[in-house]
Amino acid sequence: MNIELTTQQKALQMEVREYMKTVMTPELLEEMKIDDLKEGGGPEFRKQYARMGADGWIGLSWSKELGGREMSHVEQYIFTDEVVRSGFAYPFLTTEAVTPVIAANANAEVREEVVGGVKQGKVTIAIGYSEPNAGTDLASLTTRAERDGDHWIINGQKMWTSLGNFADYVWLAARTDPDASKKHKGLTMFLVPTNIKGFSCNPVHTLGVRTNATFYSDIRLPDKYRVGEVNAGWKLITGQLNIERLSLFTHGQVDSLYQGVCEWAAETPAPGGGKIIELPWVQHNLAKVKTGLEVVKLICWKQAWTMDQGPLNMADASVAKVYSSEFFVELYRMLLEVMGQAGTIATHSPGAVLKGKLEFRWRVGAVLTFGGGANEVQRDIIAMAGLWMPRTR
Amino acid sequence: MDFTISEELKSAQQLAQQILGDFTSVDQLKVIEKQAERMDTALWRALAEAGLLGLDIPEGNGGIGLGFYSLTMLCEEVGRTVASVPVIPVLVSAAGTLRRFGSDAQKDHWLSAIASGATLVTAALEEYNNDDPSMPGSSAQKMDGGYSISGTKICVSQAQSAARILVSARAGDDLVVALVDPRAAGVTLNAQLVTTGETRHELVMNKVQVPTADIIVTGREATEAMEWALQATRTALSAMAVGVCDKMMRITGSYTSEREQFGRALATFQAVSHRVADCYKDVECLRLVTQQAASLLDQGRPADEAVLMAKIWCGDVTHRVSQASQHCHGGTGVDRDYVLFRYCELARQIELTAGSSARLMGELGQDICAEYLAKAG
Ligand SMILES: Cc1cc2nc3c(=O)[nH]c(=O)nc-3n(C[C@H](O)[C@H](O)[C@H](O)COP(=O)(O)OP(=O)(O)OC[C@H]3O[C@@H](n4cnc5c(N)ncnc54)[C@H](O)[C@@H]3O)c2cc1C
Repeated sequence: MNIELTTQQKALQMEVREYMKTVMTPELLEEMKIDDLKEGGGPEFRKQYARMGADGWIGLSWSKELGGREMSHVEQYIFTDEVVRSGFAYPFLTTEAVTPVIAANANAEVREEVVGGVKQGKVTIAIGYSEPNAGTDLASLTTRAERDGDHWIINGQKMWTSLGNFADYVWLAARTDPDASKKHKGLTMFLVPTNIKGFSCNPVHTLGVRTNATFYSDIRLPDKYRVGEVNAGWKLITGQLNIERLSLFTHGQVDSLYQGVCEWAAETPAPGGGKIIELPWVQHNLAKVKTGLEVVKLICWKQAWTMDQGPLNMADASVAKVYSSEFFVELYRMLLEVMGQAGTIATHSPGAVLKGKLEFRWRVGAVLTFGGGANEVQRDIIAMAGLWMPRTR
Repeated sequence: MDFTISEELKSAQQLAQQILGDFTSVDQLKVIEKQAERMDTALWRALAEAGLLGLDIPEGNGGIGLGFYSLTMLCEEVGRTVASVPVIPVLVSAAGTLRRFGSDAQKDHWLSAIASGATLVTAALEEYNNDDPSMPGSSAQKMDGGYSISGTKICVSQAQSAARILVSARAGDDLVVALVDPRAAGVTLNAQLVTTGETRHELVMNKVQVPTADIIVTGREATEAMEWALQATRTALSAMAVGVCDKMMRITGSYTSEREQFGRALATFQAVSHRVADCYKDVECLRLVTQQAASLLDQGRPADEAVLMAKIWCGDVTHRVSQASQHCHGGTGVDRDYVLFRYCELARQIELTAGSSARLMGELGQDICAEYLAKAG
């Protein structure tokens, strides 16, 4: 039992941290001021993403055969943690979640086109799971794919298709067997090139970020873009959820915010004399943040380490998701309370504390409590898989 | 980074589970609970025979020298079975301090006797409104052949049966850590009934003469000794809390899966199962911070902050899991004929021992303030 990074792990951490400083160029930071380009997609983003590819930073976790380095989950977590900390809109779901599934299941030609493109930092992929009427109950989705010779005709609508406005493909879940009794067994996965006829995209502006509604109208998609067997899509969707979680929650970025607020509070005068950080209630909030954040770090490390030993226990994966998502929301509040009114000043406005980063984090905080599997469902899983309690109804 | 628990430690844990299981049926617990100063001497002897009292005592002193981490695993198992054995005051606070800070003669004299179960040495770290033994209100005065100690310690476990009680006292600017004989002149023991239902003692020392042979350390090293004792005790309490809370939540999971109301198992109501799922989450968080603190102490690395955070989690989680468990059981949860109440009582005892969450949160906040004011220059 030794819960600390090894010398090599620390070296990797520093290497990524230093490299990412060179990615976050002034031009990119300028571009990210534009609301629609905050999550990537602009020319500077593309330039830096391609540079990461050229410098060999994409697909580190992939097999050697795919040109990866077969990094362990712990190393992969360290990489992710630092990239998220840097603020770069790295498309983790593309590189870590979807591409390995495509590599393992797609037809050779498409594999070359997509996996090769991702490796070079030239391709991004949006996730097309959710629909207006299929959210938590994802398997009830109705976007339809019907076979027509060696093509598929696709019709339907997806909702919340993030990156859909600039991604090269949508990783699409569609119903190929309309028999209602085969809810989970009637789904197939496709890659839909976004330049194909019949695809369109409308912006959806949320509290924090831009996402999209995407439309699929009589798309004629060649069968080579089907990934995996027909009606075997559910396994491909759920198979990458654990890996996806490794990139949803990281410690470094939030720890930087905590440290930033501590530094700010140690420099900022309190009205009655002394500094803000000397006020008992401020100390209380900071101590609570630190105590909770420590567990985020330990949970992330333990998850990555466990995945290197074997499969992750379902209940523990759900604990990590519920704890981190709910604690982050609390943390944003506790840190914003320390700043008071100044905590409401948005990025790029004069007087914004920590460049308004916390004002923005609050805007996206709730997404993680219902996204990535609503926390109620996670709690159901904990009760069943962790405590052998009966299914709720 | 390595979360592996070695095979050696695992087998020690299994052995502990087996022995503790043999001695903690409800009927056996009830017999021990009738005693005033609770102590399952037969169980203590069995643990001694298995070598488990000497987990953190070096081989040269009659122990098996597996280290501090293994001792916290024993504490967890004791918590899981609510056994009446003083593992924390005797093995962690007293023996742990003796082994790290005592003289060779003291170690020779006490440690093997503790490991064999022949002798109890307990510790009295707390005073009224003061859980920090490195800043005691008790005082010590140097005299020929030792010190004279005065002051009051509270809620001392095994005060009557122990051969010695480890205490700290202040001699001017210096700190003294000493072993006090509870039978010495000037010692008064006043019975104190505590939440677990056991009798502990207020230890009143009025110019108690402690011979040099029983002075463990003085000066700077004494401060280090008491800081170590406090950190080790807090970590061991957190480990015990892991066992207590893990068991409480499992009892509650099983009970609600079987108990039916409205024609269905209570656990099929999401509101119920989710409250138990939150206990599971809490226990996992507590386990992680406790493992971190224990492994740092085990390796002799700085653990101040890790221990504070562990004990804060310990206080919060014992409270939340205990209340959720009682609530989800309804009346059964508070019935003394059912198992749960013992866990709830022990949880509260642990929560308020060696610093509550609120008090430690205050301390951690001050530490953060000092750290960042220093950085700001
Ligand atoms: C900013 C943003 C980006 C997103 N990006 C993507 C993306 O790129 N690709 C994609 O496919 N999707 C994306 N999503 C969609 C996201 O995955 C869904 O919002 C999520 O799955 C929840 O579905 P829903 O919004 O339809 O809520 P619903 O399913 O309607 O759930 C609403 C609430 O109902 C409750 N609830 C639901 N089920 C249960 C249950 N079984 N028991 C108890 N309570 C329950 C929960 O409180 C839940 O939060 C994104 C969403 C947002 C906001």
